Amino acid sequence: MKKRLSWSLLLTLIMGIALLAGCSDSGSASGDGEKEDDDVLKVWSFTDELKEPIKTFEEKNGVKVELTIVPIADYPTKLKPVLESGVGAPDVFTGEVAFLKQWTDRDYWENLSQEPYNADELEGDYIDYVYDLGKDSEGNVKALSWQTTPGGIFYKRSIAKEVLGTDDPGQLGEMMSSWDGLFEVGEQLKAEGYRLFPDEGAIRWFAKGEDPEPWVNEDDELVMTDAKLNYFDHAKKLREKDYTAFAPEWSPSWNASMSGPIAYNGGWEEVDEDAAASDKTEVFSYALPTWGLHSVLKPNAEDTSGDWGVTTGPVPYFWGGTWIGIYSGSEKKDLAWDFVKMMTHDEEFLTDWAKETGDVLSYKPVNEKIKDEFSEPFLNGQNNYTFFLDQAKKIEPGIVTKYDQQLDTLLGGQVIEYVDGKKTKEEAIEEFYKQVKNAYPEIKTP
Amino acid sequence: MKKLNHKGYYFIAPFFAIFLVFNIYPVLLTFYYTFTRYEGYGKPEFIGLENYTRILTDGYFLEAFINTWKIWGLNFALQLGIALFLAALFSDLRYRIKGIGFFRAVFYLPNLITISSVAILFNIMLDWQHGSINMFLMKIGLISDPINWLNEPATAQISVALILTWMWFGYTFIVLMAGVSGIPGELYEAALIDGANRWQTFVHITLPLLKPIMLYVMITSLIGGLQLFDLPMLITDGLGAPEGSLNTMVLYLYNQAFRYNNYGYAATIAYALFLITVLFSVVTFRSMYRTNAKKEG
Repeated sequence: MKKRLSWSLLLTLIMGIALLAGCSDSGSASGDGEKEDDDVLKVWSFTDELKEPIKTFEEKNGVKVELTIVPIADYPTKLKPVLESGVGAPDVFTGEVAFLKQWTDRDYWENLSQEPYNADELEGDYIDYVYDLGKDSEGNVKALSWQTTPGGIFYKRSIAKEVLGTDDPGQLGEMMSSWDGLFEVGEQLKAEGYRLFPDEGAIRWFAKGEDPEPWVNEDDELVMTDAKLNYFDHAKKLREKDYTAFAPEWSPSWNASMSGPIAYNGGWEEVDEDAAASDKTEVFSYALPTWGLHSVLKPNAEDTSGDWGVTTGPVPYFWGGTWIGIYSGSEKKDLAWDFVKMMTHDEEFLTDWAKETGDVLSYKPVNEKIKDEFSEPFLNGQNNYTFFLDQAKKIEPGIVTKYDQQLDTLLGGQVIEYVDGKKTKEEAIEEFYKQVKNAYPEIKTP
Repeated sequence: MKKLNHKGYYFIAPFFAIFLVFNIYPVLLTFYYTFTRYEGYGKPEFIGLENYTRILTDGYFLEAFINTWKIWGLNFALQLGIALFLAALFSDLRYRIKGIGFFRAVFYLPNLITISSVAILFNIMLDWQHGSINMFLMKIGLISDPINWLNEPATAQISVALILTWMWFGYTFIVLMAGVSGIPGELYEAALIDGANRWQTFVHITLPLLKPIMLYVMITSLIGGLQLFDLPMLITDGLGAPEGSLNTMVLYLYNQAFRYNNYGYAATIAYALFLITVLFSVVTFRSMYRTNAKKEG
């Protein structure tokens, strides 16, 4: 007993000392911090992809950069109080497209259109929609991006050859260039026991991009286009005709479906035991953007490397993307701008970056030089770089609002409930409007 | 008048300073926010009682309230039932079960796993195509078709309640066992000699003497249960899917504040939640206390 007591005492002491040490550590940092902080550039982001660029930047400029990574789910929540109060704020921070538009109209990011940045001069150098997204409502540039993230349809070549008679991206893109074409391809695949898409959510980008209009217009009215209404019907059709495989995005089944056949039993409530176990199917294609190749397909489909291709769907779209800007209250704006410059328009750095990571750049001068060099072994040698650049060009700028991320999520949820047969189309739409009103009382719903 | 030494105040001052800054101030500020429309940036806009009229007519809040009760109620009934059963079993003189320390630790283990790991774990296990739970149930022939647990409101709520039960029955069991060990052994021995059977011993000795402990368990569980958030948040889409059945009050609060930036309304939900918690704690306490008093009188 006595021994145990002394151990716990010791432990408490150690913890106490550690705590005190921790306190004094931060104390000294803030005490003589001015000297220390002078050459440390603070960067906040939500992924670790800036790690390598930061190393390069440190070597080039002989400065220290401190990168803070906050997981994306907490990123806006953690960043906001810091930016509001200015205490412990970063000098440079990134923004994902999901919350980008909430920030461009605030004073968080430095206005890059003014002196000495003059980012307006760069306008022609960037892909339109990417450059446009970094602007606030008055046209001032607040953030820039080094990448463009348009999407396509990634498909399995062996299945395409077997069922559709060709694995040529051009011909397949032609076949799937309309909704009817898409369903026709789905029908042919189904006849051979394959499924067009993993689930109905796969078509949301096409539904959204078909009739490009902002979700909420200038009068705060919700814009429910026909394309969005048709999304319900298209999704229902996919389910009813068995063109999908019950493998929603990010689910275990979704990941599994990329490397081979998965268990599937359409309308699982009426399938008997034996069939449930034996009925397997293979998914033909996935609607994914540039980064989907590297962070989704490659890790999940190692064994089928080389059997993939990428082609176009009914309409061009983009998904995700990271922008970067300078904190308006930063005291090291010059250094911060140097970093942003390197990330977004340093030809040497960007060339290396694109070649190393496969990231598709939004900076045209570099793209012109390197785009033809790409040949992706995973895609059987196809040049995905030029493919995505062509797609990026077709994306309509100026239609993303700060509400998009949440409204897309709410709409997608209702579409699935309609597809699952839990609601009629009218009920689902009605519920969607109710949810929008509840989330954003300022939006007027139809 | 006796002269008192004031130095004692210096010693308690740090606590009160921290309490004021980190507890009282936020609570009062939140109360102020309930009268405002506040997006989290800039200045809050004063709108009077609008948030309060809204919460009284808000169907989603009512739904969240009902969901929270459903999930907590099922979870608590099961948790208390299992814990009581185990407490009775382990305290029974006739069985003299060995290694109670071992069982206590094993029963408590699920509580040590972080909730996010639990959520991921069960998300995979409950997957309707590849989940081990469906596969197991189908193998032993209990069900013939896979059940899409997290896609139907009823099964989703039951799943969450069961997971919570699994996580918390060990804790309740330990607390109840502490209560049971406080009951004098003579009572059981006397009952044994008098020829009381197990059920009689349990109903007439264990249960009445456990009442204060059960009251404690009930109130702490109620307060925790009304704040149910993490598991519903993590196990489906964070919005309360399927069909809003996992939308609990705190999840609703969280989404209003951090997803939709309605800080004023979220503050109002927080206060409503506070009132509800106080109300039900008082009701529970009163009803337990009253039955006690009646028996004594």
